[in-house]
Amino acid sequence: MGEFWMFPGQGYQHAGMLQNVPRNLIDKVYDLTGIELTDTDEVYQDSIQIQLGILTLQIDQVNRLKKAGINPQIVGGHSLGVFGAAYAAENLRCEDAIRMVYQRAKLMQNAYHDGYGMGVVVGLSRTQVEQLVAQVDSPTEPVFASNQNSAVQIALSGKLTAIQKVIELAKKNGAQTAKLIKVPVPSHSPLMKNVAQILSADLQKIQIVPSQIRYLTNYSGMVTQSVDDIRYDLGNNLVHPVYWEQMTDVALEFSPDLIVEFSPGHAFSKLIKTKSDIRTFAIDDYGIEDSLFLLEKWKRG
Amino acid sequence: MKVKRSWTQQRDAKNARMEKVSSLLNGKFAKTEDAKEILERLIEPNDKVVVEGDNQKQADFLSRTLASVDPERVHDLHMIISSISRPEHLDIFDKGIASKIDFAYSGAQSTRVSQMISSGRMKVGAIHTYLELFGRLFIDLIPNVVLVAAEKADRNGNLYTGFNTEETPTIVESAAFKNGIVIVQANEIVDQVPRVDIPGDQIDVIIPADKPYELEPLFTRDPQNITEIQILMAMMAIRGIYEKHNVQSLNHGVGFNTSAIELLLPTYGEKLGLKGKICRNWELNPTPTLIPAIESGWVESVHSFGGEVGMEKYIAARPDIFFVGKDGSMRSNRALGQVAGQYAIDMFIGSTLQIDKYGNSSTVTAGRVPGFGGAPNMGSNPTGRRHSTPAWQAMKTTDNPLDKGQKLVVQMVETFGANKQPVFVDKLDAVDVQKEINMENAPIMIYSEDTTHIVTEEGIAYLYKTDSMAERQAAIEAIAGVTPVGLRSNASQLQDLRNRGIVALPEDLGVHRGEAKRSLLAAQNMSDLVKWSDGLYNPPAKFRSWS
Repeated sequence: MGEFWMFPGQGYQHAGMLQNVPRNLIDKVYDLTGIELTDTDEVYQDSIQIQLGILTLQIDQVNRLKKAGINPQIVGGHSLGVFGAAYAAENLRCEDAIRMVYQRAKLMQNAYHDGYGMGVVVGLSRTQVEQLVAQVDSPTEPVFASNQNSAVQIALSGKLTAIQKVIELAKKNGAQTAKLIKVPVPSHSPLMKNVAQILSADLQKIQIVPSQIRYLTNYSGMVTQSVDDIRYDLGNNLVHPVYWEQMTDVALEFSPDLIVEFSPGHAFSKLIKTKSDIRTFAIDDYGIEDSLFLLEKWKRG
Repeated sequence: MKVKRSWTQQRDAKNARMEKVSSLLNGKFAKTEDAKEILERLIEPNDKVVVEGDNQKQADFLSRTLASVDPERVHDLHMIISSISRPEHLDIFDKGIASKIDFAYSGAQSTRVSQMISSGRMKVGAIHTYLELFGRLFIDLIPNVVLVAAEKADRNGNLYTGFNTEETPTIVESAAFKNGIVIVQANEIVDQVPRVDIPGDQIDVIIPADKPYELEPLFTRDPQNITEIQILMAMMAIRGIYEKHNVQSLNHGVGFNTSAIELLLPTYGEKLGLKGKICRNWELNPTPTLIPAIESGWVESVHSFGGEVGMEKYIAARPDIFFVGKDGSMRSNRALGQVAGQYAIDMFIGSTLQIDKYGNSSTVTAGRVPGFGGAPNMGSNPTGRRHSTPAWQAMKTTDNPLDKGQKLVVQMVETFGANKQPVFVDKLDAVDVQKEINMENAPIMIYSEDTTHIVTEEGIAYLYKTDSMAERQAAIEAIAGVTPVGLRSNASQLQDLRNRGIVALPEDLGVHRGEAKRSLLAAQNMSDLVKWSDGLYNPPAKFRSWS
C-alpha cells in the first residue's frame, strides 16, 4: 500500500545531529531567520535552536529520500513534527516551514518563564488519568491530560505543582511510571491558547498546497487531505493533545508495507513494534546513508 | 379502494438505468477502464448500495472504483457492507459519496470507523449481527445496486465463486429478484466456469478486475504463539465443559485459546478417551490448527463461512469432511453458516476483551468500534430452539417438565489482557462508547443472559447454574483473579460455590497445572501442521518462518 513516515518532535536532539545536513540548507535557515544552527549541546538548551535544528534535519532527510524516488503514502508528525510531516506531504514549502517553526519556537519560549511544564504517566488508561487530573485541576492549579502516545502512556501538561500532585496520585493508583519530563512549557493544553492564536493568524498568510499524500492530524488523530484541516493542525496542535496512538492506529489500518521514523530518535518505531509486525525502522538505527541503501533495496523488492 | 398506479415502476427504472450503459456493454460485459463511468451512470444519489466486503473476500476493484467517482454525480449513498475491511470503504464517506452505513464488522478499520462516526461523517443505521444484516437485505434494506466479486465468469455470465463463495449468493439474491442491479468484478473471463455458483441470469454487468480480488488469511494461528496459560485453560475447558456436557457440535472463535483446544484433542483428549464422543460436527472456517484433529479421526464434518488461504488443496483431498463441489473446491456460505452456528450447534466458545461484573462482554474499547463478526449470532441462545442433544438438555436446571435446555455459550479469557489491563471490569467501555457515538443499543457482543460458562486461568464459572444475579456475580468474581472485580471474592464464598458445583478450579476437574506444557500440543509450529496435512496445506508466506 505504500509507506508511512513518522516525524518526532523535541526530546531526542543531540550535538552533531546536523553533521550530514548540507551547508546551503543551514545557510537558508540563517537567511530566513537570522539563526545560526551550531548543533552543539550548549545551544540545545535553547528551544529555538532545538526546534529549527530538528526541522532542518527532517527537511534534509525528506529531500534525500525523495531524490532517491522514495515517497510516502501517509505521514504523521508528533507536535513540532507536524511541520516535517506537512513538508514531506508536499502541503508546505520548505521556506514556509522554516519561518513558521521559528515563529512557533519564539512564541513558546516567551509564553511561560517557570513553574509550568509536562509529565508522563505509564500504565494507566486515559480515562484513569483523566479521573486523577479532575481531582487536582483548578483555576490556580491547572493540569490537563495531554498527549496520548499509547493506550497506557499519557502525558500531563500544566503547572508543575499540580502535575506533581497527579503524579503522586498515579503512583498510588498503580502506574508503572509517573514523572516530570524536561519540557519547560505546558504544551498541548489550553494553556497554550495565546501562542496558538498568533501562530494561526500567521498561518493564514501561508499557502497550504493540496496533495495526494494523506496527513494525520495531531488534534483529532484523523487522516485528512483537506488544506483547512492541515492549516488548523499546524497552528493549533499546541492547544490539543497529540493523539499519537490514534494517528498510528489509523496509519496501520492503511496496511503500509514500510514504516520509517525520521530523526532524531527511535521512540516511535519502538512503540509501533509493540503492536504491529509491519517492517518498521528509524533512520537513526542505521544512519542516513545506510537507510537510503536499505530503502532503495526494499523498493526494488 | 384500489390504488391506481403502475406496478412495474422499479423494473422500468432499472431498465432505464441499464439503457444508460448499453453503449458501454457487450452483452453483460464491460471493459475494465469503463468501470468508473459505469458506476457513475448506474448509481444514483441516495441509492442503497452493497459492496461485497466479506470477512475474507473483498470486491476491492469495485470499492476502489466507487471511491473514485465524482461526488457531484454520485452522493449520499446508503452503504451496506457486512465487513468494513478496506481503507477505501471509508474514503467513500470522506469524499461525500456516501453518508450512511449498515454493517456487522469493522475489525480492520475500527479506529477510523469510530472517528468517522464521532465526527458525524458517517451515520450508522445499526451495527448488526450478520443474520440481521442479511435478513434486512430482503426486508427494508433492499439494495438498488450490489457490487460483488467472483473468481471466474463465463460467456453466459455464470459465476464461479468457489472456495470463497461467502456472501456473494445472499447479496446477489437480494438485488436480482427485486429490480436491483448486480455488478460483478471477475478475476478471469472463461469459456465455461468449473461449476456454477451463481447463474448468469441473475447478473447484469461483469467487469474484468484490474487485479485479482484481495483475500485475507484471517484465521491462521501459528501454534508457536500458544502459551502455557492458554493450554491450561484449554485442558480445563475440555474436561469441565466438552467432556462434562458431551459437546458434539460446535463453533470455535478465532483466537489462540480455541486453537489450543483444537491441538489438544489428538493428545490430551485422546488420553481421556473422548475420541468419537465430543467435537464431531463443526461450523468453522477451515482453520489450519484443526488439521491434526481431522487427521487423527476426531472430526466427522466441517461446514465453513468462508475459505482460508493455503487450505485449498488439503480440503479438496478431504471431501468426506468438508463441503466440496464436483470441481474439487470447497463451497463456503456465510449466511447458511451463521444460521447453523446460531441454531444448529451445541456450543459456541470464543473470547473477548472485556467482561463486566454481570457477565456481559464486548470487544468495543475506547476509540475502537470493531463490530462483532459472527460472535453475537453464535454466542446467543435462540429461545425457540428444541434440541435433543445431551449438551443442550444438560443445561436444564429444574425438574419442571416444561423446562428447556440451552445452547452452551462459553467465554474463555485470561483475567488480564493487552497492556496488562483487567478483562473483568465493573463497567464496559462499550457503555461510554454508546454515549459518545450516540447509538440506540450499547455495543454488547454477548449478553450475560446468554452466557452459560466463563473460563479463566483461575477456573470455570458455571453461570447457567446460578439462580440470581447476585449469585452470578459471585461466580464471576470467584474466577476473576486479582482484577478489581475478582478481589471482591473471598475464600468462604469460593468454597461454597465449589461445593455447589457453580465454580470449579483446575484441581476440581482433575487438571494439574504442571501438566499444561507446550509439548502437549499435537503441532508445535506451522511446519508440524504442514506435516500433519501430508504436505497439502500451503501456509501463506508470512507464516513461513522455517526454511
